[in-house]
Amino acid sequence: MRRLFKIIALLALLPAVAAGQGKVNHIIPAVVYGDRPMKEIGVQQTKLDSIQLKENISLSMADVLTFNSAIFVKNYGRATLSTVAFRGTSPSHTQVSWNGMKINNPMLGMTDFSMIPSYFIDDASLLHGTSSVNETGGGLGGAVKLSTRPAQNDGFGLQYIQGVGSFKTFDEFLRLTYGNEHWQTSTRAVLSTSPNEFEYRNHDKKVNVYDEDMNIIEQYYPIEKNKSGAYKDFHLLQEVYYNTGKGDRFGLNAWYINSNRELPMLTVDHGEATDFDNRQREQTFRGVLSWDHLDNGWKVGAKGGYIYTWMAYDYKRDVGNGNMAHMTQSRSEINTIYGQGDGEYYIGKEWLFTASLSAHQHFVESRDKNIIRQDGNKAVVGYEMARIELSGSISAKWRPTDRFGLSAVIREELFGNTLTPIIPALFVDGVISKKGNVVAKASISRNYRFPTLNDLYFLPGGNPDLKSESGWTYDAGISFAVGEEGKYSLSGSANWFDSYIKDWIIWLPTTKGFFSPDNIKDVHAYGVELTGDLSVALSKEWNLVLNGTFSWTPSINVGEPRTPADQSVGKQLPYVPELSSSVTGTLSWRDWTFLYKWCHYSERFTMSSNDITLTGKLPSYFMSNITLEKGFSFKWADISVKAVVNNLFDEEYLSVLSRPMPGINFEVFLGITPKF
Amino acid sequence: MHKLFIRLVFCTQLLLAVSCMKWEYGLEEDFDLSASGEGLFITNEGNFQYGNATLSYYDPKTRKVENEIFYRANAMKLGDVAQSMIIRDGVGWVVVNNSHVVFAIDINTFKEVGRITNLTSPRYIHFLSDEKAYITQIWDNRIFIVNPKRYEITGYIDIHNMTMESGSTEQMVQYGKYVFVNCWSYQNRILKIDTETDQVVDELVVGIQPTSLVMDCNDKLWTVTDGGYEGSPYGHEAPSLYKIDAATFTIEKQFKFDFGDWPSEVQLNGTKDKIYWLNDDVWEMDVTADRVPVRPFLPYNGTLYYGLTVDPHTGDVYIADAIDYVQQGKVYRYSQNRELLDEFYVGIIPGAFCWK
Repeated sequence: MRRLFKIIALLALLPAVAAGQGKVNHIIPAVVYGDRPMKEIGVQQTKLDSIQLKENISLSMADVLTFNSAIFVKNYGRATLSTVAFRGTSPSHTQVSWNGMKINNPMLGMTDFSMIPSYFIDDASLLHGTSSVNETGGGLGGAVKLSTRPAQNDGFGLQYIQGVGSFKTFDEFLRLTYGNEHWQTSTRAVLSTSPNEFEYRNHDKKVNVYDEDMNIIEQYYPIEKNKSGAYKDFHLLQEVYYNTGKGDRFGLNAWYINSNRELPMLTVDHGEATDFDNRQREQTFRGVLSWDHLDNGWKVGAKGGYIYTWMAYDYKRDVGNGNMAHMTQSRSEINTIYGQGDGEYYIGKEWLFTASLSAHQHFVESRDKNIIRQDGNKAVVGYEMARIELSGSISAKWRPTDRFGLSAVIREELFGNTLTPIIPALFVDGVISKKGNVVAKASISRNYRFPTLNDLYFLPGGNPDLKSESGWTYDAGISFAVGEEGKYSLSGSANWFDSYIKDWIIWLPTTKGFFSPDNIKDVHAYGVELTGDLSVALSKEWNLVLNGTFSWTPSINVGEPRTPADQSVGKQLPYVPELSSSVTGTLSWRDWTFLYKWCHYSERFTMSSNDITLTGKLPSYFMSNITLEKGFSFKWADISVKAVVNNLFDEEYLSVLSRPMPGINFEVFLGITPKF
Repeated sequence: MHKLFIRLVFCTQLLLAVSCMKWEYGLEEDFDLSASGEGLFITNEGNFQYGNATLSYYDPKTRKVENEIFYRANAMKLGDVAQSMIIRDGVGWVVVNNSHVVFAIDINTFKEVGRITNLTSPRYIHFLSDEKAYITQIWDNRIFIVNPKRYEITGYIDIHNMTMESGSTEQMVQYGKYVFVNCWSYQNRILKIDTETDQVVDELVVGIQPTSLVMDCNDKLWTVTDGGYEGSPYGHEAPSLYKIDAATFTIEKQFKFDFGDWPSEVQLNGTKDKIYWLNDDVWEMDVTADRVPVRPFLPYNGTLYYGLTVDPHTGDVYIADAIDYVQQGKVYRYSQNRELLDEFYVGIIPGAFCWK
C-alpha cells in the first residue's frame, strides 16, 4: 500500500459525460483509492474534468475557465479576444501548451482562449505559479496544459450536436471515431457563426434629437445592437493514435482553425457601422507527432510539431459609393517548428528522475502598415525575425515514505543567443493526517520570461534593450478529502502564494504617437486560492455536485515612482480583480440534469493610481448561467436535448471599459450519438 | 441527508438573491462658470480603445480644477482619445479621435449643444466661418469640410500623394484666404489650401514628421519635426524646428536638434512673439531669435512632459505630466519667472489645452 493514498475523486456524477452531450450515464459518488503520482509532488494544479470541458459545444476555453477556476479571464466581448491570467499577473505570464507544444503567440506572448473550443480539449490542467516550472519556463503566473487523448472506442462512433441560440447563433459539432485494440482515430469539427447583434442599453452615449434649428430638444441612452461583431469560426481536429501493445504509443494531432471575426464597435463610437469594416481573420494549423515508450521503471518520449499562423487585421471605411478603402492593413505570419524529448527513470519506488528538452524555432513576419516613402516608392512598416527558444530541465523526485515527498527541478532556457540564469524550483509535500487525507504542500521557484518578438522588434516602438522579467514565487497549501463510498465525497484546498516580479514589461504611449515597451514595474502579487468540491447521492436517483473556487489576489506595484507625481506605487494593478469566485452546482435526477453556474469578479481598477472615476468605473459583477438537459436512450441512438440560459438575471455588466456584453440569452442543443 | 439537501437549496437561493445588480446611471450636474472669465480646458486623451477620455476645466484665478466635466454635465462619456479642442463664439469643439466625433459644448455649462459624427479619425478642427470648418484626419487622405451649424459633413479636400493608410493631416493655421496644414505620420510636408476653392494649391517639404504648427505675430509659421524613428522605412533623421514665411511659403530658418531628440508641442504666448516647445525640458525662444537658447526655460526634473500651453493673458506656462499613462496626469503651472504657482491632477494622458 506504499504511496497509496485514499483520495476522493469526483468521478462524474452527471449525465453526459466522457463522450460529451448525446450520451447519458449516471455515476454515483465514488471513493477512489489511487496513487499520489510522484510527478506531482508538491504541485498546485487545477484539473478540469470532461464534464466541465464538454458542457456545451458553444463554449470556448475562456468560458470554461471563467466558471471553473480561480484564474482571471479578461473578456473583450462575445467572440472576441479573451485572455487569462493567474494570480494578478498578465496574460503573457501564462504559458499555454497543447499536446506539449507551446501555443503562446511568439509575437504577442499571450494566447486567445476564445479561439480554443472546449470540445476540442480532453484534458486541461492549470499549473499555478511555481508548479509551471515542471513543464516550462516563463510562466510567472502559471501554465495551462491542454491536450487531447484517444476516445478509447471500439468500432465506429459518431456524435453530432446542433446548437441554436439567441442573436442568430448557430453551433455545429461533429465527431467521428474509430477504434480497435491498436488504433484509435478521431475527427472533430466545430462551426460557429453569428451576426452577434445582441442588444444592450448603451450608458456611455446619448442620442440627440434636434429641432429644425439644430437645437437639442431631447437626449436619451439608446438601446443599441452590438455593431460589427459578426463571427464565423471553423475548427477541424484530426487525431490518430496507435498503441503497439508492447509499450510503444504513437500519436498524430492536427488542428486547423479558420476564423473570421469583426471587431465590435466601442460603446463610445459615433461612427456608422455600415461605413466601417473592422475585421480580424486568422488561419492556423497546429500539428504534433508523438511517440512514447513505456517500460518497467522508465519511459521515453519524443514529439515533433509545426505551427503556421496567418493573421490579418483590416480596418476600412466607405469613401463613397460603397468603395471601402483601407485605413489599416496589417498582416503577420508565423512558422514554428517544434521538437521535444522527454525521459523518466524510476529507481525503486522512492526515486524518480526526469529530463526534458524542447525547442521552438519561430520564423515571424509582421507587415503592419503600407506607406509611401519620401522618394515616392511604396514601403511596408514591419519586421522579419527568427528566434530559437530552447528549454531544458532535469528533476529528481524522492518519496522515502508514504507521508513525505520532495522534488527538485532545474530548468535552463535559451532565447536567441541569450541564456537565462538557472531556473530552480523546489517542491515538498507531506501527509499530515491519513484520516481526512490532509496533505500539505509547499514550493519555491525562480522564473524568467523573455520579451516577446513584438516587445523587441515591432515597428514602430519595439525596444531591443528590454530585459527579461524575473520573479520569485512561494507557494504553500493544504488539502483534504473525505467521503463515503456511494454516498458523498467532499474535498477542498487552501493555497497561499507570494511572488515578486521584477522588470515587468509594459507598453506605453510616446510623444511620437506610437507605443513602446519598457521594463517599468516591480510587482508583488500574493494571496489565497480556495477550492471546494462536494458530491452527494441525495437518494437513489438524486445526485448533487457542487464545485467552488475563491481567489484573493492583491497585485501591488512596488516599483519606484515613474515621476514625482506618480500615485501608483503601493496600489493594485489595473484590471486585476482583488476578489474572484465561482460556483457550479449540478443536480441530476434520472435522465434530467440541471446545472447552475455562477461567478463573481470584484470591482477592477482602470487606473494604476486606483482612483475610481465616473468614466473609469468597472463595477463588480455576478454572472449566472443555467442549463437543463434531458437524455433519451433508444436502441438505435442516445439523444440529448439541452436548454441553456446565459446571463440569467440579464445583468448589465462590463469586463473591459467600453466593450458591450450581452444580456440574457438562450441556446438550445440537440445531440445524437447513433449506436452502430 | 434531507437537512443537508434543504441547506443546499437555501444556499442556492441565497446565491440567486445576491445575483441581481443595477447599473448606476450618471446624473447631469449643473455648472455655470460664465462669471469667472478666464479658464483653461484640458483634453485628456485617455487610453486608446478604452473610451476613457475626459475633459477638465481649470480656473487660474481661483486655482480650482473640475475633472470629468463632460461626463458630469452630460451623463455620458466623452469617448475614445480626446485629441484637441477649440472655442468659437462660446462653443467649445472637442475632437474625439477614435470615437469618430466632434462634440460642441457650451463653455460655461459644459452641456452638449451638438455633434458632428461619422468622421474617419478626426484630429483638429479649424473654422472658416459659422457655416464652414475643416476637420483634419489620420488614416484618411482627405480633410473633411463640415457645416458646424448643421453638424453636417459637406465635402472633402483630397490630398495628393497620400493614401488612406498613410493619410495624416494635423494642425491648421490661417493666413488670409489660405489655410496651412502640417502632415505628420509618415509625411514631411506643409500643405497650403485655398479656402475659396477648397483645393491644395501648394505644399512645402520640411523634415520627417512635422508634429505641430503655429503662426506668430509676424505671420511666420513654426513647425517642429520629430525626425521619425529608428528602423522606419520612411527615414530617421535629426529633428528640426522650422520658421516659414506664410506669404511666400518658403523656409526662412531651420534650427537643427541633436539626432535622437524628440521635440514636440510648439506653442505661442499671448502676444505671439515667443514660441515654446518640449524636448525633455521646456524651451522658450523669441520668434526673432537666430539660434535656440543654450538653457531651457524649465529643465527636466523627472517629469514626463506631454502637453504644453501658455496663458495668453499672464504668460504662465502650463505643462502636463502623463506619468505612466494609466493614471490621472498632473498639470504644473509656472510663472514667467519659472516659479511653480500651482499643480493639479486632471485625467488620463493630458495632451492638449484650450483657453476660454
